[in-house]
Amino acid sequence: MNSPAIAFVRRHGTLIGVALVVVYFWLHLPATFLTGRNLLNISQQMSMLTVVASTMTVVMAMGDFDLSVGSMASLAGVVAALVFLAGGSTAVAIGVALSAGLVGGLLNGFLVAYVGILPFIGTLGAMTVYGGLAFWLSGGKTLFGSAIPHGFSDFARSGIPLGFDLTFPNLTLLALLSAALVWVFLEQTVAGRRLYAIGDNAEAARLAGVPVRPLRFASFGLAGVGAALAGLMYASRVASANPTQGSGLMLDAIAAVFLGQTMTEEGEPRVLATLAGVLIIGVLGNGLTQMNVDSYVRDMLTGAIVIAAVATSSLGRRRGE
Amino acid sequence: MSLLSVARLAKTYGGAAALRDASLTIEAGEVHALMGENGAGKSTLIRILAGVVQADSGEITVAGEPASIANARDAYRLGLRFLHQELNVASRLSVAENIFLGRAYPTRWGGLVDWAALRDRASAALAALSASHIAPETIVGRLAVGDRMIVKIASTFVDDASAPGRIFVMDEPTAALTSEESERLFRILDELQRRRAGVLYVSHRIEEVLRISNRITVLRDGVSQPPIATAEATREMLIERMTGRTRLEAAARPRQSTNARVALSVDRLTGKGLEEISFDVREGEILGLAGLGDAGGDRLLRALMGAMTGGSVTIAGEGVRPRGPAEGWRRGLAYVPRERRSEGLLLSQSISDNVALPHLNRLSHLRLFLNRLAERAETAAVGRRVRLRATGPRQRAWRLSGGNQQKVMFARAVAGAPRLLLLDEPTRGVDVAARFDIHALLREIAAAGAAVVIASSDREELLALCSRIAILTDGRLSRIVPAEGLTAARLLALCYGDDRV
Repeated sequence: MNSPAIAFVRRHGTLIGVALVVVYFWLHLPATFLTGRNLLNISQQMSMLTVVASTMTVVMAMGDFDLSVGSMASLAGVVAALVFLAGGSTAVAIGVALSAGLVGGLLNGFLVAYVGILPFIGTLGAMTVYGGLAFWLSGGKTLFGSAIPHGFSDFARSGIPLGFDLTFPNLTLLALLSAALVWVFLEQTVAGRRLYAIGDNAEAARLAGVPVRPLRFASFGLAGVGAALAGLMYASRVASANPTQGSGLMLDAIAAVFLGQTMTEEGEPRVLATLAGVLIIGVLGNGLTQMNVDSYVRDMLTGAIVIAAVATSSLGRRRGE
Repeated sequence: MSLLSVARLAKTYGGAAALRDASLTIEAGEVHALMGENGAGKSTLIRILAGVVQADSGEITVAGEPASIANARDAYRLGLRFLHQELNVASRLSVAENIFLGRAYPTRWGGLVDWAALRDRASAALAALSASHIAPETIVGRLAVGDRMIVKIASTFVDDASAPGRIFVMDEPTAALTSEESERLFRILDELQRRRAGVLYVSHRIEEVLRISNRITVLRDGVSQPPIATAEATREMLIERMTGRTRLEAAARPRQSTNARVALSVDRLTGKGLEEISFDVREGEILGLAGLGDAGGDRLLRALMGAMTGGSVTIAGEGVRPRGPAEGWRRGLAYVPRERRSEGLLLSQSISDNVALPHLNRLSHLRLFLNRLAERAETAAVGRRVRLRATGPRQRAWRLSGGNQQKVMFARAVAGAPRLLLLDEPTRGVDVAARFDIHALLREIAAAGAAVVIASSDREELLALCSRIAILTDGRLSRIVPAEGLTAARLLALCYGDDRV
């Protein structure tokens, strides 16, 4: 069971699979796939997912989930658009939307940490509530128009010029910045270490003096802020907000974390591994779109890849003497 | 003809020899004890018998017939029954369902479960163990640990005409039991002997083995030694055979100076299942908590660690009332819980992560950023102090043996130089050498001025370590006696409420 070959496939199977996929796209799309422009494009497409998956990693490090991030992203976009329609400035809109994310996230945290509801159920309920709220506030319509300031929507369309007619998109920069902050938090701070302790054994962590409840509470708050930030990025990119635009984020974020977990030593969620997971989902989506593969087929392939990756990594992961 | 005979078994896991040359025989009507340090190969031998792994070489004979055990079903058909130290019960199912778990339920009407027959047969199995106090419809999760063990035993006893159980392998069966529950198990062993069954009894508890077994086989480094008749065995001889060391008995109990300062003063403490408990512990003192069964020693430790509901606690003259373990650790308390795997260790994390966990604020930059160098340095230092055997501070906890895992728990507890050390069954399921190291460490910590409170069901341990022993009865403190001159039997009598001193 512990032969080196199996161990290698277990640990690196996901990366091998991705390398094969990249080579496949490169051979079939030689002119467009592995170009700087396309890679920057992928990074921008993936920027919202990067933010949500990073903060999802925080929650999953504790062994929990947040299913409400997609609805929260939509809700935050709608809230920002409503502030604009009411004549608010960009700063106010961003502040209000991020606060909504924080409050919604902390509400999840309260349910999970202090009321004691399973995260799956608590955040499933919250997902429905926040989604409904987004519909109710927006009247079910897409909010757009002259009320949305140019400063807000231009942000997502510009970036840092790199020369050769390429720009490094602002959204990518923001996503990398968020991921870096989460990395510092999880890997370099006392609180981050304690989150992993909770994820390993919550009761042992509690008895060893880890303040389990406050940390869970705060982590869900962070996931809410991440979701709201992603919602704002989305609204900026499309210069509008509608009550379903964040809905794909949650499953992709959880899939990215799972894909990442297949690449870590003990199968724990790590931000850098999550970024690799995001990249896999992004590359796959981009390549298949360019090859004119139907989006339903793309969904099926993404799901199958997540399952295959998790299955290979659990080969021989059974622990014994 | 022996009931079970294994000869020259060997097994290697990925280059490491777990078992090199193990032989033993079990006669009908015999309780054969198997002893050895953690890592000596006992578990591997049991796993081979259970069909979990296959031996690389060697022979197994059951009732004179060569046997090959490729899987659990083969072992079952040969009449082997296993009782493991970890109680794998389905805690949401009833007693009757657990007893029949993994085998065919009685059925009627072409396949539907015959619940009445299931209950009756479970009742019969329990009655055969004189355990009729357990109702077959009770949900197992509501039973005490000892009763759960009896349910597991009953399940190995349910008659199966096609494969009658005749060899019972028990791995540390008393590790989680109270003394009365252990007594009940011993009566069951007598009954098995009367029925001419054979028992392979694996235990670290020397007194127990000397009392109930007929012969003893010792494994050391994967090699078995010729069996000893229990009547001719002594404690010292067994320790020497297991460890290869001759002198393990430590120095006498530390002398307690009566004018040391009071380290911990507990006044009318109440908590879940605890009533008005008051006592003092002086600096350098080791206080034992003894009692029968669920007397409350474990709950008292938890209450001190923050679960108390009333009363007052003074540590070094300072009134404290921790509201939870986090505050307890901050105030200089350290706690080693009873179940190291479920309540103590972060199994997938490194030794260093495990040791540093309660001390991260101290071992960090600005209480915010991790300082891994400080963590590893501290882990290395306390690791040496507790004589941890590991490849380094980054080794994962799940790779360590039980004794070394327990030492990690101790390393965590002593890393902060605690003023008060609270220990719940500190040497449970730990081999003789590790137990010796842990006892030496505790004496050293106490000698350095810390106060230590130990809850233990191992009376020999309490007598060897403590200067005084508090007797708890149903969550109340009935008396505190000096350990000087006390014997294990006398201590047991005190636990049973005997008032003569």
